[in-house]
Amino acid sequence: MSSPLKETVQEVVRYRGNWGHWSWVAHRLSGLAVLSFLVIHVWDTANATFWPEAYAYSVEIFKWFPFSVGEIGLMAAVLFHAFNGIRVTLLDFKPEWWRYQQQSAVAVWVVFAVTFLPIGYFMLQRTIGHCINKAAVGQSCFAFPLPPGW
Amino acid sequence: MTTIRRAEPRKNFERYAFLFMRLSGVALLLLAVGHMVIQHLVRDVHDLTLQVVADVWRSWGWRAYDLLLLIFAAMHGFNGLRNVLEDYIHNPVTVRRINIGLAVFLVLTIVWSAVAIFTFRPDAVMVQAP
Repeated sequence: MSSPLKETVQEVVRYRGNWGHWSWVAHRLSGLAVLSFLVIHVWDTANATFWPEAYAYSVEIFKWFPFSVGEIGLMAAVLFHAFNGIRVTLLDFKPEWWRYQQQSAVAVWVVFAVTFLPIGYFMLQRTIGHCINKAAVGQSCFAFPLPPGW
Repeated sequence: MTTIRRAEPRKNFERYAFLFMRLSGVALLLLAVGHMVIQHLVRDVHDLTLQVVADVWRSWGWRAYDLLLLIFAAMHGFNGLRNVLEDYIHNPVTVRRINIGLAVFLVLTIVWSAVAIFTFRPDAVMVQAP
């Protein structure tokens, strides 16, 4: 007895489509990840207009260390989804290029690695710098920010 | 010998949804990747405050940018979610209910945020949050 979710996860791991398969999996997961952040981000940013006090507090939560690390993941998700999206779109409109689809999948992973690694390193440096600045004034970037008045 | 065929889309809606995903994807290359580069590399998210939002939204150009990004990203994202869900959920009644729910939430998200972008008053932001 298997649930559709369990079956999906099993087949994703078992299927041997090589690079193109992992691109497909990563495209889905990165898309879902970006959408999750987008919904939170958009409703949260609307608070800048409708409830400024809540907005001012929520941006402090976004500077909390685990969130900053999550934003590095968000950058990775957006970049991979963008590069692989270009590949998918080109192949959709140029079927004669399908013979190169496996190579193009590898190329996207390479371009992604080359762009994301320095960017991710830079973002991590800044995140750690923020922690050091907080530590200098006796605060911790690991402490979950409490709402004003707590 | 292999023959490559262009598949004939059965339904017009799916055809337009397919085209929309490609076209909005190209737009989002500029809008979404540009937004990430500006917020995370040019600016520093660790400096983000309500005051920064007020400074940016003083410009109607940036408000227009954010509105376009909002519309394209939300529609692209929710249609993508619909595509993913329809791969795993096969009951037409369930699919229909989910799609109606997603469509309603999508419209609410866009309308609520569009109103927020265009009714924001930068001068009302007096003091910067700590």
